[in-house]
Amino acid sequence: MPRRSPPEAAVEAAPFRVRVGVDIVDVARLERLLDDNPSAAGELFTAAEWAYCGGKRRRGEHLAARFAAKEAVLKAFGTGLSGRMRWTDVEIVNTPLGRPVVRLDGAVAARARDRGVRDVDVSLTHTAGMALAHAVVVSRIETGSTERRDSGCASI
Amino acid sequence: MTNEELYLAVRPAVAEALGLDEDEVTPDATLLDELGAESIDLLDILFRLERSTGVKIQAADLSEHVQGGIPDEEFGDEEKDVITPVGMAQLKKVMPQIAGMGLDGKLQPENVMSYFTVQNLTDLVAARAAAVSA
Repeated sequence: MPRRSPPEAAVEAAPFRVRVGVDIVDVARLERLLDDNPSAAGELFTAAEWAYCGGKRRRGEHLAARFAAKEAVLKAFGTGLSGRMRWTDVEIVNTPLGRPVVRLDGAVAARARDRGVRDVDVSLTHTAGMALAHAVVVSRIETGSTERRDSGCASI
Repeated sequence: MTNEELYLAVRPAVAEALGLDEDEVTPDATLLDELGAESIDLLDILFRLERSTGVKIQAADLSEHVQGGIPDEEFGDEEKDVITPVGMAQLKKVMPQIAGMGLDGKLQPENVMSYFTVQNLTDLVAARAAAVSA
């Protein structure tokens, strides 16, 4: 039997599942959405997200990155926005040093609890034109459970 | 509002959100594949429809409407990666145009929304408007 390196053996034994999600948003497209639809501001972003982005010179880029992060997190969950989930259920806040942190609320938080989600992390980047987010969701695998892929979900 | 009046509201909402001429927005056109809508465009369309018709449809309502409340594990066959007969029966209710396409046993979950048309959206708005006024 071939010898395995310690990291490989450790990964195989770990009772966790790691799933990823990624999304990219055209900054001008999001800005047009917000400009044309006044009610979108409150439906897509929380007060804390507006407080962080609102005063920035490149506000549109920061908001687009946060919207991309919401999509990326929901993709990592394998559901997209479904059921009673709301965009504001996924909130991106920042540590004093600027690192983005994901806070879950409402139906998304409930789904996370159901799935045994232990950690959600996100990384953001943006330029003048595009904003991109990458999310990682770590869930505990219950003993004897099988992989569930949400293959039936007709999300968009 | 009648279904025809709702269509007359849906058409400009789709055209404006996607930057298209209204002539390009026909009832049979699929929103994602043929008209090129991305998820952010669908959001834009729903916000515009809320303003013009007063009917509020959340982004999550679209997939809920299509899936009809059927649990994921009954709607899709995980091993075969296709929509189940139960799921297909639901889809033929909300997207009747797929009935003659020979998709039974072949349609993959990720492709379901590719068949969602402007008419299907109009029907969803009509259903929500009726539910609100009932």
